[in-house]
Amino acid sequence: MTAPLSHLDLLEAEAIHIFREAAAQFRKPVLLYSIGKDSTVLLHLARKAFWPQKPPFPLLHVDTTWKFRDMIAFRDKTVRDFGLDLIVHTNEDGRARGINPIDHTPSVYTDIMKTQGLKQALDTHGFDAAFGGARRDEEASRAKERVFSFRAAGHRWDPRRQRPEMWRLLNGRLDANETVRVFPLSNWTERDVWRYILREKLDVVPLYFAAPRPTVERNGQLLVLDDARMPLASGETPVVRSVRFRTLGCWPLTACVPSTAADLASVVAETLDASTSERQGRLIDHDQAGAMEKKKQEGYF
Amino acid sequence: MTAKPKLKPVGTHPAPAPTVVGAQPVVTTAAPLRQPVAPRGDDLKGSLRILTCGSVDDGKSTLLGRLLWDASDLYDDQRTTIERSGKRAGDGVSPDFSLLVDGLVAEREQGITIDIAWRYFDTATRRIVVIDSPGHEQYTRNMASGASHADAAIMLVDARSGLKRQTRRHAAILQLVGLKRVVLAVNKMDLVDWSQDEFRAIESDFHDLAWACGFEAAVVVPVAAPSGDNVARRSDKMPWYKGPTLLEHLESLPSRTADARGPFRLAVQTVLRDGRDFRGLAGTISAGEIKVGDTIVDGLSGQRARVARIVTMDRDLKSASVGQAVTIQPDRDLDVARGVVLSSPGSEPVAASDISARLVWMSETPFDARSGYLVRTATDLVPVADMAITARLDLEALETRPADACAVNDIADARIRLGRAAALDLFKNEPETGSFLLVDAVSGATLAGGVVTKAGRDGGVVADDAFRLTRDVLARGICRDLGTSESDREEFQRRARETAILLRAAGVDVRLEI
Repeated sequence: MTAPLSHLDLLEAEAIHIFREAAAQFRKPVLLYSIGKDSTVLLHLARKAFWPQKPPFPLLHVDTTWKFRDMIAFRDKTVRDFGLDLIVHTNEDGRARGINPIDHTPSVYTDIMKTQGLKQALDTHGFDAAFGGARRDEEASRAKERVFSFRAAGHRWDPRRQRPEMWRLLNGRLDANETVRVFPLSNWTERDVWRYILREKLDVVPLYFAAPRPTVERNGQLLVLDDARMPLASGETPVVRSVRFRTLGCWPLTACVPSTAADLASVVAETLDASTSERQGRLIDHDQAGAMEKKKQEGYF
Repeated sequence: MTAKPKLKPVGTHPAPAPTVVGAQPVVTTAAPLRQPVAPRGDDLKGSLRILTCGSVDDGKSTLLGRLLWDASDLYDDQRTTIERSGKRAGDGVSPDFSLLVDGLVAEREQGITIDIAWRYFDTATRRIVVIDSPGHEQYTRNMASGASHADAAIMLVDARSGLKRQTRRHAAILQLVGLKRVVLAVNKMDLVDWSQDEFRAIESDFHDLAWACGFEAAVVVPVAAPSGDNVARRSDKMPWYKGPTLLEHLESLPSRTADARGPFRLAVQTVLRDGRDFRGLAGTISAGEIKVGDTIVDGLSGQRARVARIVTMDRDLKSASVGQAVTIQPDRDLDVARGVVLSSPGSEPVAASDISARLVWMSETPFDARSGYLVRTATDLVPVADMAITARLDLEALETRPADACAVNDIADARIRLGRAAALDLFKNEPETGSFLLVDAVSGATLAGGVVTKAGRDGGVVADDAFRLTRDVLARGICRDLGTSESDREEFQRRARETAILLRAAGVDVRLEI
């Protein structure tokens, strides 16, 4: 007898199963790679699912031009190390109009640079399926998300038009103009992601580890200044603090936490002890009530 | 026929007694109360998925919210949100625990649960996944889909009203998807003054229902959700109740994939190559186990090979069992592709082209014999050549009645002829390779979920394991005194039916062929 599977073994097997189903059923899938810890786990599972073959799909990074420099360096190294295909897409129209997270509200900026950028990239390349790292534990509206999440024309998500899923069966037969988002990490929690990173000894972006970084405090949130693009308010002086990130995004919109956890084991210990959920650090989600559900209906991941 | 559970005193041992599995309901002894602690670092020892079903009026969201509040590793910001939700009620503040489970904006506005929602929490030893399904009648389909993912179910009733028609409907759906571990939470015990008599009456009704539906471990717990009595904390209001709290019971149930018995099954998802000579069959083991050197068979083509390697990215395995996603390299070239189910020799699935199935119809578009349908099995997609509805389950009487139509939220029996053979099992033997989705060939929509009750090859060789009560058997035995007169023929029919009824009552699956 083999020993019973642990909960991480089961989650890993389930994710591999989902990757294989999607790759077999869809014509042209892509993996949405956002460089953070969830993407790291997602990519690792994709490699396991098709080993010894390479994942039979490219990676897509929607670059808003406001990612931390460490993230871009990590992205390029990962792609090089594993010999993967990477597509980087920026909403050039948004860039030309000077849309940025400092002068525009988080919802406007996110819509144009992330949501519209993503739709452009998916349409341009004709991808019919996109793997993402969304988890049901992240937020209330995601608790009802399917593993195969169908999008009507225009990438619109309609909660009432989602297909029922039963047993381990996944039905990926698409209607005209339909596309699908595939969520292999659906049943993972934030803590599982960290536990798995520790268990599998995965490299993550160094921003997850505590280090002295130049910070300012705004509206009760701590921001790291990654470059000189963000003007300081009068009286604001950058202070070097030992901080790390629990979640990564565009740097002016991603708050950090004071921490001294400088290696993986202490980060995991700190995460398992954490008293606030990770999206607390994402300024976009606090913008308006039901923010995530609205963004999803418009096509945000 | 119903046995009252033997109530045992609350134990003080750290390990809960194993649930006794049998035809009759049993009560497990209770594990001691435990402070909720988020386990650190390592993997949890397994995982359990629990479906909750009941209507809003029964206080389901509140019960679930309370369970999460008491027993899980909630974040402080989540706790703060709930505490702020508290409404002044009398001299105290009662937080609205249901906010922890009710999700979508549309749903909050309507005040009902419209879709299944997934929640996760960790106890000291395991991951518990709560699949919350709506209780309203029109959402039978959501409940069936939720139940298909679950290892156990919590049914919920209001202590003031007891079992309702809806409770029976829910039980029928659980039975359809093969869920056998069911706990009934009798909620709002505070509103019947913690009455033991009220509770025992409901408990007795439920045991009858559990027996009829073949539930194996049917435990009944009296609870009061807002105050948390017997949810995670033992109630001091009901000293007469000696069974486990809801949480204790959930912790005593066996984990997913704890059982690797049964014949080996792996539905091939995809064939992997490394660009040189490697060709591996990738899939998830849905039953049994496999070792290097074992013989594997493709039941559709009859091809055989031995397992040369069991490959994963981490390392080659010597053996693998149910739940694991692996890649099998056969010792010779097998001409197989996606859709094939690998098995051990002698226990192959049926190469089925003619199946009987029970369906839960989930689409707003009713069944139409002229439509183009596809059957999606574990990894195969097969066109339907011909399909007819034969009966529909009356959810009030819980009886099947002959029918030729079915629509959304119906549970119906169907006869399906496939355009070509697909590897299928009987659902009751192998759920993962004995279930399927019925798909609209044009829109791709999922119309129904189905479980295979009979699987036949071309030419009508039926592969169910029902006992066949044939004219021959009857004429040689119980009816050998009968002749050919009109009255004797009637008596023959009567005895045949009576025998079938007795056998069925004794749990034997009988097919009358006279």
